[in-house]
Formats: sequence, C-alpha cells, structure tokens
Amino acid sequence: MSAHLDILLEVAILLPRMSTKEHNERIELLQGSLDLLILRTLLLGATHGHAIAKMIEYNSEEVLQVEQGSLYPALHRLIKRGWISAEEGTSENNRRAKFYRLTAKGRRQLVVETSKWDKLAGAIARILRPVEQESK
Amino acid sequence: MSRRRRMLKDLDQDIRDHIAIETQENIERGMSPDEARSSALRKFGNVARVREETWEVWSFTWIEQFFTDVCFGVRALRKNPGFAIVAVLTLALGIGANTAIFSVVEGVVLAPLPYPQPDRMVLVQESRPNLAHLDISYPDFQDWQHSVRSFQQMAALTWRDYDLTGPGASAHLNGMEITSGFFSTLGVKLALGRELSPSEDLPHGAPAAVISDRLWRDRFAASPQALGKSIVLDGAVFTVVGVLPPGFRFLTDADIYTSLAQGSPMIYNDRTIHGFAAIARLKPDAKIAQAQSELSAVQENLDRLYPAADQNLGTLILPLKEALVFEVSGILLLILGAVSIVLVIACTNVANLSLARSAARTREFAIRSALGASRARMVRQLLTESVLLALAGGVLGLGLAKLAVSVIVALAPASLPRADNIAVNLPVLLFAFGISLVVGILFGLAPALDSSSVDVQVSLKAGERGSTRAHPRTQSILVIVQMALTLVLLMGSGLLLRTILHLWKVNPGFDRQHVITFKVGLSPSLTKTASSTRTAYRQLLDRIREIPGVQAADFTNVVPLSEHDNGGPFWVGAQQSTSMQDAPHALYFETGPEYLQVMHIPLLQGRFFTPADNSASEPVVVIDSVLAHSYFPDKDPMGQLITVAHWRTARVIGVVGHVKHWGLNDTGAYNPSQIYISFYQLSDEWVPAFARELSVAVRTPLDVATIMPAIRNVVYGTGKDQPVYDVQTMEQIASDSMASQRLSMILLGAFAVLALLLASVGIYGVLSYSVSQRIREIGIRMALGAERRDVLKMIIGQGLQLAVAGLVIGAGVALLLARLISAFSRLLYGVQANDPVTFMAVSLVLVCVSVLACYLPARRASRVDPMAALKYE
Repeated sequence: MSAHLDILLEVAILLPRMSTKEHNERIELLQGSLDLLILRTLLLGATHGHAIAKMIEYNSEEVLQVEQGSLYPALHRLIKRGWISAEEGTSENNRRAKFYRLTAKGRRQLVVETSKWDKLAGAIARILRPVEQESK
Repeated sequence: MSRRRRMLKDLDQDIRDHIAIETQENIERGMSPDEARSSALRKFGNVARVREETWEVWSFTWIEQFFTDVCFGVRALRKNPGFAIVAVLTLALGIGANTAIFSVVEGVVLAPLPYPQPDRMVLVQESRPNLAHLDISYPDFQDWQHSVRSFQQMAALTWRDYDLTGPGASAHLNGMEITSGFFSTLGVKLALGRELSPSEDLPHGAPAAVISDRLWRDRFAASPQALGKSIVLDGAVFTVVGVLPPGFRFLTDADIYTSLAQGSPMIYNDRTIHGFAAIARLKPDAKIAQAQSELSAVQENLDRLYPAADQNLGTLILPLKEALVFEVSGILLLILGAVSIVLVIACTNVANLSLARSAARTREFAIRSALGASRARMVRQLLTESVLLALAGGVLGLGLAKLAVSVIVALAPASLPRADNIAVNLPVLLFAFGISLVVGILFGLAPALDSSSVDVQVSLKAGERGSTRAHPRTQSILVIVQMALTLVLLMGSGLLLRTILHLWKVNPGFDRQHVITFKVGLSPSLTKTASSTRTAYRQLLDRIREIPGVQAADFTNVVPLSEHDNGGPFWVGAQQSTSMQDAPHALYFETGPEYLQVMHIPLLQGRFFTPADNSASEPVVVIDSVLAHSYFPDKDPMGQLITVAHWRTARVIGVVGHVKHWGLNDTGAYNPSQIYISFYQLSDEWVPAFARELSVAVRTPLDVATIMPAIRNVVYGTGKDQPVYDVQTMEQIASDSMASQRLSMILLGAFAVLALLLASVGIYGVLSYSVSQRIREIGIRMALGAERRDVLKMIIGQGLQLAVAGLVIGAGVALLLARLISAFSRLLYGVQANDPVTFMAVSLVLVCVSVLACYLPARRASRVDPMAALKYE
C-alpha cells in the first residue's frame, strides 16, 4: 500500500459528496433551503457571495455551516430563474466584486417559499411532538 | 455573448475572490498564511465540482458530457476489442432476428393498406347459421348497394383467369371481374383512361377492360395509344379503356379487370350462389356499427322477400385490413414472441459479459468516485458505453435482417397476405434503432448500477488486482434465465417438428405420389357450345392417355388440398326440404370417370362413373364415406336420392373414401361431406363456368420434366392457342398445404438453435470466469489430494446445476405457454402442447449441449498446476 494511495483516501473522505444514499438526500434537502436562505439574506440589500455566506453563518448563530462553494451553483440557479440579478460593484474593502440583488419576482417567491417552509416545519413539529410527550 | 457565457466568464474570478477574502479574514484572526488558505479551501469545498455544478445550471452540459462519454466509451471499447466484438456480434444476431420478423409483422399486419384513408375501407360478407364467413351473392349486393347510407361507395369482385390470345403470344393471365366503381371505391386513380362505366357494367354492355401497368408495357409498348385498342380474352374481343398505375395491387397480382355483369350469368344472376367479395368505403364520419345496423335492416327485408334463398342469412362488416390479415396475425405474433426470447437471451449474455468486465474495472470506478464523480454520472457513462455497443449491434443486425427478410419472403407460403409489402423500410429502421436503444439500456443497467455503487475504500485498498468482486449470484441467475428461455423455444420448435412428421404420415385419402396436375386453356373455337366443350375435353384426355408412361388421366374442378372451396347445399331425398341457408353442405367434385384411378381413392361400395353416364342418362352421384355415415347412418345409401342445389335430383351409385381436402391436419370441422358429379352430366348452362375451373390430373411414374413435354405436344397439337399452366405435382400441393407449419417450424427452429448457441456461450462464459476466480481454491484442493477427475466433475456439476435449474423453470413456463399454443390448434397436429416425448428430447439436447459448454472450462480447471496456482498471489 503506497503513501500515494493514503492521500487519495484522505481526499475521498473529505469529499462532500460520497456516493451513499443518505448523503445524497441531505444535499437534496440543503439545496432547497439554501435557496430560501439566500433570498432571505438578500432581502436586507444587495451584497457579494462571501458576504452572503458569512451572514447566513452569523444569523444562524453558526449552527448552519454552509459549505461555501455550494453557494455558487445556488446563486446561478436563482439568477436563471430570475429571482435575483447580478451586477458589478465594489466591496467594503474596495475590491471589485459581483453583487447579487433580489428581483421583484424573487421577493414574491420569498413569500411563497417562506410560507411553504413554515408549513413544512409546522407539520414536522406536529409529528415529532407526541413522541416527545411519550418519552417524558 | 450569450447570457450563459457572460454568467460563467466571471465564475472563476468570483471563486478566487471568495477564497481570497476568506483567507484574508483567517489571517486577521491570527492564522499563518498557509493555514489560513487551506482552511479557506476546506470551507469552500471541492472547487472543481462547484464549477461543474454551476456550469450545469446553464447547461447544455448534458450534451457536452454526452460527447465526452461517447468518446470515452469508444476508447474503452477499443481497449478491449474481444469483449466489444463478442458483444456486438451477439447483439447483432438478436437485433437482426427481431428486426427481420418485425419487418414481416410490419409489412403484413401493421402497415396501413396502400389506399387513401385506408381506415374507411371495409369488407362486406354474409354469414349462415353454421358458417361465420360466407362469400356474397351478386343480387344481394345489388340490393345493398344503394340502401346503406353509411357507405360512400361499394364494389363487388371475383377472381377470374383469362386466356389472352392477342395482341402478342397467347398467355394465361390472372384477373378479376369487377363492378364499375371498384377503383374509385379503393380511391385509386388510373394512370391512363378511366375505369369501367356503369353502362359497360351490364350483361350486354360494350366489352371493356382495364389492364395493369405490366400488361400495358408488355403488349402495348407503354403507348398512350393503347386506349381504345382491342384485346382478345377467352376468344372475345374487349376494348382497353384504362391502364392502372404501376404497383397497384388488390390482394393478388392481376393484369386484367372486366365487368362482373359480363361474366357467367348462371353465377351472378343467382341469389343462392355466393361467389363474390364486396368492399365498401365508409363515409368520412360513418362508423362500422352504424353501417352494420343499416345493412342488417336491408338484409332482413331480403330474408323475408326471398325466403328460399336468403332465409337466415346474415351480414358482416369487417375492417378490410383486419379481414385480410386476421388468419396470419396470430402465427406472426407467436413468431414475434419467439424471436423476442432470442433477444432477451442475447441481452443476458452481453449483460453477463459486461458484469465480468465491470468486475475488472472496479478500481477504475473507485478512482473516479474518489475524484468526485457522482453515481448518476457514472451510471450514465456506463449506459453510454452499452448503448454504443447496442447501436453497433443494431447496424450490423440491420444487415442481417435484410438477408433474413429475403429468405423469409422466399419461404413464405402463398397464403401469406401482403407478402409483397414486406421490406426493410423506415418503420423497420426506426424499430431497429429503438430496440437497440432499449437493449443497450437493459443490458447496461445491471452492470452500471452494480459498478457505480463501489465501496471506494475497499476497492482501492484491494490494490492492483482490481477484480476483487465477482457477481456469481447475478451471473448464475442470468444463465438460469437463458436456459429456461432456450428450453421454451426448443420445446416450441420440437412440437412443430413433430407436427410436420405426423402430417407427412397422415393418409389424405388418396395417393399423392406420382400424380401431376395442370390446367389447359382450351381454344375458344372448341368451346363454343356445351356439347363441343364436352367433346373437346374427352378428346384431349383420350390423347393424353395414349402418351407412354401415363397410367391414368382425368380432370377435376377441385384438386384435393388446393384450398379451392366448391361447397354447396344438398338435401337427402327428391325435394328441397329446407331453405338454402338451413340445408346441409357438401364439397362438390366435378370429375371424369377415370378420376378414382388417378388419385387412388378407394371405392367402398357400388361403382364410379363410366363414359355411359352422360347428359342423356339418369343423373347419378357418388358420395364419400363421411356423407354416407352422417346422412344414411342405418340404411344402405346405394340407390338413395340426393337433391343437389342448382342442379337436380340424382341417384347414389357409389361410396368412396373421404379425402382430406382442407389440409392434412383437417379434423372434419368444416364441410366434411363430399359429393362427386360427372362433368359429362352437368347441365349445358353450367358447362362454361365449370370448364374454366377444370384441372387435368395424370398418374405417371415419370417425373414432371420427362412427361410434360409430351403432354404439351399433345395439347398444342390441337391448336396453338391453348396454354398449359399451373403444373404441380400432388406432392408439391400436399407440401404447400403445410406451408404455415413449415415456415413456423423453420423460424422457430432457427431461433431455438440461435438461443441454444447463445445460451451455451453464456454458460461457458460464466464458468470460465468462475474458474479463473477459483484458480487458487482449485490449486489448494489439488494440493490436498483432489484428482483431476474430481475437479472436472466439480466444475461440470456447477454448470449442470444452472442448466437443470433453468430446465425446471423452463418446463414450468413451457407448460403455461402450452395453453397459449393450444389456441393455435391449426398449427399443432397429432401432438399435445405438453407432449412428454418432445419435452424429454429437448431436455436431453439442452443438457448435452450444456455439458459440452461446461467441458472446456472444466478441463482448464483440471489442468491447474497446484504449485503455480498457490504462487499466483
């Protein structure tokens, strides 16, 4: 067994996406909610990619560790759907950066997605609550 | 610049900026620059994948990936040409056989009729209480013609052959008698001229003919001047009024179309004679049910108006195409089912090969998975490879199909309708393409799912050997499935083979050896009157009987086993005691006195005709044993009276043996009674109609090539305008009567052999692979004292287990299918669908072939050198 192979193995373990079913489902869940989080964050004003990641982390009291890379496919997906737009701008430390802005359509979508999320969360909570009571 | 490219242009820069900001923040938190960067990278995740996923958002990516997959697939297959060649050949056989049979089914059953709005074409038939399908009578047709409002147009027709004596050499041609409006009912536009006018479609109208494109080129040099020219048919002069477009065909090849109302008045004037077919075109919005109720209403009135002829007569409207192909579609579907089994076996073979191959590629997939390939992506890659293989097999298979189609068309029985329509055409190409795609996905799916779910760590740790995982379970199951399916096919072809062997042994009631039949078109100058026609035939036969080598000769209007139906009603006694439709039916043979000697039909009682039985003497009939038993069960039929419809009351003078006319597998279900009438006693007005149908039958030990020149000499000696045609031996006719069984057996047999071949390759492949995996184990066994013989037994035993498991399952399936096959009862004869002898025989074949296929890998296993095997690791 060579050292080379060991390195490969390490990479394999670190890889976010392994081909197990469980993991795939988690990604699936994250994708939908990530879109919602991005829309919610942009409601506060246009900003660039890194800042969006930081704000999500900060606002969730660092419970949600968004894998920052996965932000970009999500941003492009939202642009394609017309929910956000991208424009050139300057960041707080005077660097050129791409700014993302919520569109009118995205604003409406945020309302829809939020109420969907509330319903989902409510439903799951209702299912879980009796179990909690039983165990008490 | 497209939106897509604009959006993606900045992506790399965005990612770099993002990581730079994160790194900067980390440094500000007090990390070393290196630490800060690697932490930022880790937090960002796999850059390559982020890029790929973002690209996919703006995707035509799947197309790009598809091309990459195709290129990679081609490279991978080129690296392993042995696998590729075997797989492509196997698939080509499977796809080729299926495409060939599909082109037959397409051409015969599926393709629409070649007329405008073919869905509106229907066939109109009559029916009797004891017979579902009956030809129609012309007076009935005339009464329907203008009363059914759902029909846009109707036409009647009957087959007829003509002796053409000018322009050009005399020839015998097939044609039809039709009503005016026949071609417009079909929706066919003539290439030249017009179709028969209503005034020409009358008994004494001007004789007119429409001719085929072929005849027009042949006899009129394709000249537009042909219109208005004369053509001499059966001694009468007709005027050519129209020429059909090339390729026109209705049911059969016909060159001449003349007016039905100028045919035999004895036939078209008689409401009780059912000798015509009727077609109709529905109005654009009319439904068959609606037309049927209108027609039934009309026919009910006719039943009341003409009780003697039409009482209890019903009508039936069928879609034209369905009516044409109904009889064969069952057999064709059976064959299609059989050939699809071959494809399944081919698929499982390739699936097995791919499984073995993918086991060897485990490491490749582990590395790709480790580098971030998603499972779906790998499945797609593998499927692309297998679809590539299947498409290559499809192209090759199409070539095979083209060959096979020409063979099938050559073998097809004459009774196969629309055989001219069978070709490798666009629908067939689409079918081959579609089936290749489906097959590629089917056989590729199992290995693809299997390979893509590799456990990265285990596979990579297993090191260089690569082939850590075998798939013994899946492979064994596939082999068992193959064996089972092969047994089903073997069983089917075995049953048909036994059927044909039985049929050859059937005694048809006559001696089919050494009999030649042919037709003679007597010169119109000899057949002007009934009595001159009788004389002409008598003289012709006298001359034929003088030819050395001719033992006996006479004519008959119905050649046994020829499918010719000359049925008609009769009544026991001197009266027509019931209506026509309720009377019993018999098959009528109009023959000469020597007919029994020609056919060697046994005379059971009394006598057959003599030359003394003529139009002046008492009318007599000879009946067969079936009629004698059914209608004179407890009295002597000799001397009894029988009244023959359309003729007269006659005395029974003899009983002869029954002849199997409706096929060697005739079970007597349809019209089994037979009545013989002397041609010389037929009424004058019937002579012209029957004379046209007469065939001469000659008993001679000589073969056709030797005797026919002498016979032609004798016939031509009386005049140059007398063609001799339709020369056939009775053996040929008997053999043709089994054509549908023979074609089914040849096809099923070919498929069974193909299946056996593929299945033995399959079991061979799996055992070889298993032996190569077990070399070490075998080495240990031999080191511990196992003999070569034991190893041989062990491996062959392993293969036989699979074969026997397949055999048992296959037997179960075959028994279930037996019910289905019994439904095609006319296909099987003298053998039950679950015939134990056939089953034993085909099982034996299957086991022997399996042992043979197992022997090679087993021998290799038994020659393993224990020392070498143990050092192998």
